[in-house]
Parts: sequence; C-alpha cells; structure tokens
Amino acid sequence: MPVTMVADTGATEPAVLVEGVWRAFGDSEALRGVDFLASHGEVTGMVGPNGAGKTTLLLILSTLLAPDRGRVRIRGLDPMTETSDVRRLLGWVPDVFGIYDNLTVREYLRFAGRARSLSKTLAGDRAETMLELVRLGEWADRPVHVLSRGQKQRLAMASALVHEPSVLLLDEPTAGLDPSSRAEFLQLVRHLTDQGVAVVVSSHLLADLEQMADRVVVMDRGVTVGERRLNEQPDHAVARVWRLRSLDDERLATVLAGLGVTAVPLRASGVELTLETEEAAASLIAALVGAGVPLVSCGPVESSLEATYFELTVPE
Amino acid sequence: MSGMTTVARLELVLRYRAGRWRWLLVSWFLGLTVFSVLLELVVRRSHGYQSHEGTVLFGGLQLFMLGLALFIVPALTSQSVNGDREQGRLGVLQVTEVTASDIIGGKLLAAWGTACLFVLVSAPITVWAMVQGGITVWQVLVVSVVMMLLLGIICAVGLGLSAILSRSTTSSVLTYVAVFVLTVGTLVLAGLISAIDQPSGGSLTWQPLAPNPFVILADTAPAAPTKRFCFSVDGGGGALYAPGSTTTDPVTPSPQVICQTELVPGDVLGGIRESIRRTEGTNGYAFGPTPPGTPVWPYGLAFDLLVAGALLWAAVRRLRTPRRRVPNGVRLA
Repeated sequence: MPVTMVADTGATEPAVLVEGVWRAFGDSEALRGVDFLASHGEVTGMVGPNGAGKTTLLLILSTLLAPDRGRVRIRGLDPMTETSDVRRLLGWVPDVFGIYDNLTVREYLRFAGRARSLSKTLAGDRAETMLELVRLGEWADRPVHVLSRGQKQRLAMASALVHEPSVLLLDEPTAGLDPSSRAEFLQLVRHLTDQGVAVVVSSHLLADLEQMADRVVVMDRGVTVGERRLNEQPDHAVARVWRLRSLDDERLATVLAGLGVTAVPLRASGVELTLETEEAAASLIAALVGAGVPLVSCGPVESSLEATYFELTVPE
Repeated sequence: MSGMTTVARLELVLRYRAGRWRWLLVSWFLGLTVFSVLLELVVRRSHGYQSHEGTVLFGGLQLFMLGLALFIVPALTSQSVNGDREQGRLGVLQVTEVTASDIIGGKLLAAWGTACLFVLVSAPITVWAMVQGGITVWQVLVVSVVMMLLLGIICAVGLGLSAILSRSTTSSVLTYVAVFVLTVGTLVLAGLISAIDQPSGGSLTWQPLAPNPFVILADTAPAAPTKRFCFSVDGGGGALYAPGSTTTDPVTPSPQVICQTELVPGDVLGGIRESIRRTEGTNGYAFGPTPPGTPVWPYGLAFDLLVAGALLWAAVRRLRTPRRRVPNGVRLA
C-alpha cells in the first residue's frame, strides 16, 4: 500500500486512557468501573459477551456519551471538556456505517472532509488520497448504494481517516464481510498501525482479532476482567483442549493410555484431551512420536484468545 | 457557519438526487395551474371580466398554495433528525467538527430553501394574476415573503419535533397534528370560546385565530384598492361618505362612526383581513373585537415564531454531545 496516512502521533501519553469509568442507563449499569488502555501504533481489541459494555465504552470514547464518573483521556485530552480537540484526533467507524446512499463515493469523502473543517481544496485532495488508500478509485463516481458491504466498510474507514486522526475506533468492523474483504480490511488496519495510529477494535470475531490485534482487553458485565498481549507467546498457564490426529488411532489410544493421559476419541478420527500448559503439550508430542505413533496433526482446538475469553467471561 | 453550509449543501444534494421531489415540484406547478384556470373560469362566469380580476385570482391562488404547502412542507423536516439517527448517520456527523447548531441550522436552511422553491415555482401563475390587473408588485412581494416565512415556521416545527422525538413516524404524525391545530384547531377553538362567551351567538374572538397561517397571510397582505363607507351611529345611520370614496379618506372610526369597506368582489385575502380586524365585518363575517383596522398578524406571527424558536432550541439541546442523559429508546449512533 503506497499511501502514507497519518502525520503526527508523537505523543508520550497513551492514545486512550480509561480509568474507573461508570455509566448507567436508568437502573441498568452498562459500565461499572471499567479500565482500558490503548497505545499508538497498536491495535487494541475489546472483547466480551453481549452486554459487556463495549459499545457504551466506544460511545464514550467517540465523544457521543458522557461517563457518569471516572477518567477518560484521548491523547491526554478530556472528551468532556475538550470535545472539539478530541474530535480532531478521532476517527470512528460504527457498526452501522451511516453512509449517504445517494452521494457518489467521491462526494461522500469530500463531504466527510468538509465536516472535519478541511478547506474545499484540502478535502478534495484528501478524498483522492483516501480513494487510493482503500482502493475505491474505480468506484469514485458511482453512487454509494451500488457498493458491496465490504466496499462500504472501506468507504466508512476512509471517511473516518480523511482528517488524519491518530486514534481510530472501530465497532464490529469485520462483521458480515466476505473472506477477501476481511483480508483487505486486516491489511488496511495493519498499515494504519504501521503509520502510528492507535486502533481500538470492538469485535465478537476472535479469529479476526487474533490476526489484527496486538493487545486484547476482555470486558464482562461492565468491568475489565483481563487482558492479553497477542504478539507475545501464549499464556503457558492456560489449560486448553488439544486435538490430535494419527494415521493409527488404535496405536495413539494405546500409547496415551500407557502415558496415563485421558483422551476423548472423536467420531471421525483422532482424540481430544486437555493439557494444562504448552510445555505439557510439547512433552506429549515428543513422547508420542518417540513411541512410534504416526501423528498427522496436533494443536489447540480453541485459539488462545478464545481460551482466554472463555476463562475470563461468565456465561449468561 | 461553514459547518452549517456543509450540512445544508448535503441536504440539498440529497433532496435533489431523490427524484420524487422533482416530480412533486412538477405536480405542484400543474396543480396550481389547473386551480388558477378553473378559478378564472368561475370568476368570469360569475362577474364577467373586470379590471380587478387579478385580485381574485391572486388571493385564491395564495390561499390554495398555502393550503397545499401545509400538506407538503411537514414532510421536508418531520423525519429529518430521527430519520438520520435511525439510519446511523447522525452519530457519524456528530463526532465531526460540525456542531449541533450547524446540524439543525443546515437542515432548516435546506428544508426552508426547498419550501421556498415551491413558492418560486408558482411565479409564472402569479405574474399571470398580475397581468389580469388589480395586483401590485408590492402586494405580491409581501404575500410571497410572508408565505415563505410561514413555511419556514412549519419546517422549524417539523425539524424540532424530529430531533426531540425518537421515532420518525411519531414526529411525522405530530407535525401534521401541529399543522392541523394551527389551521383547523384555531378556528374550532375560536368558535368554542365565542360560544362560551356569547351563548346567544356573536362575533368570534380573534386571539385563537391570530396564529392561523391563513389569517396571518391574509392580514399581512397589503390591501387592494377598496372603497369605504362610514356611518354616523348616533346621527341616524346616514352615510358620512358616499360610495366612491377611498381608504385614504380622513375619517377616523370611533364609537360614533363605523366604517365598512367595500371589497373587490371575490377578494378572499381582503375578506379575511377585514373580518378579523373588525367588530362588524363585511361579507357576513364578524371576527372582532379588535379595534377597527388593527392588524392581528404581529401577535399570531410572534406566537408561531416563538413556538418554532422554542422547538429549534430544544432540538439543538437534544443534539449536543457528549450526552449525559439519554431518554429511553433513543439510540446514539
């Protein structure tokens, strides 16, 4: 991707800082002292079950909603008192894109620039840059309503980036995208973080987050229940289910029994078993191969993020 | 101001792109033309051609236009804000540097501009009425400006309700209810109040009628040249001035002197104006009791502007972010 996106992000303070934030709607408490941190040049994922408070937190970060109490800072600025300054730093793509169908793609991007107080000339120039960035140049003069969902998603991203924000908030960005659109989107996000943008992503699609996020914060029932850095080695202490497949299921079962490992045979072929650590998995694989088991594959059934998610959140 | 013009331009482009408005404008023009042709035929059949035929045509056309516009104009704004909210567009706009006032102001400008376009489209028919005689450029200008102002008020009412109410269908219905109250409701209220005050029958009270758009339009319209009769009440009812004298005659109405105006036959604007301003009116109506000749439109217009202004103020407040209070059922984005 040849387009250089974002200018100044040389800030020492965190891109997003949330400390002990509470927010209630009537009797229902959506946030109950949530903490959150996002850094420049990183994708910070926000995961949690429905009702965890992710969207409420994103609305607070996007300056639409005020917290009841707690501290929120976007690059050191308070969204409540320095709203205009914060908005200049922010790009926001909600789950519903909110695009005007009767405009052309180029017109919409120019409008987005003008709404961001860019001059007419600059808004025009930025629209062209964004068209190139999100690869919608061919569609520039077509009405928005003819775009696919993936293209609309990229257009919404482009409109959120038109003023070169240093913090980008994305709510369920990959929901409903086909695999190629999803891959393009992940590539775009990675490009932005390479330019120093702090990207905050709320998503239910853990596999996508695992591909794009550097850190993931897990929320449940309005509080932060944990976080994980994904580009580090997985947490060795997390117990996970592993699936083993062998060319000789009988031999595999015999050796496992000999090693004292309890395994559940699968209907097709192979077995599933729970291992406490990754070291235990490595030792088991070595033992099986050493015992002459013709292993074909061996890996965790759940992704590491999925395991963390289920470990930290409470089912309804 | 830049934010407001950005929003207004967007709204106008979106309206222009929605093809139905072009068809509506064409239908509007055709409707007015057919009405005017029929009205002229009626006038010629009842009175024969007269030099003041334009007065009749113009008055009838303006009232018809206002009536028709009151059906169309609420649709321009009554779903403007909550419609955008329902489609997820409002939040996207609110997180930009466009302020709440910009959004409301821009939407109002665009809707009002579109409403004014309906008045401008009728210009050829108005010119036709002028050619028929009896209408001055000044009358046309004043009536057109007041008409546009009234349509702006309706736009503001619709816009305000669309920002305050979460559901677009509710705000749409309530805007039409507001128009109904201003037009039919004021008349009914005036009738009821008069019936309570004067059970034996008598003149209508003018206060409830003042905010009525038709009354405001007629009352602000400059009078067409008229003839006036003045009678001395205590002098046996003899005419002080004979027919043929004009409104510039130096007669001051008083408890002892009652003046009546002889209107151009069929001058509906003049008829409403004279009726609303007089204790004992012409054309069989009596809408007093304002002092003879006192205009009521300033009260009515002030009331309507106050309502529209209050709704716009509430709309701007409703769109201010970050929001501390969110009413039940209102989505933010």
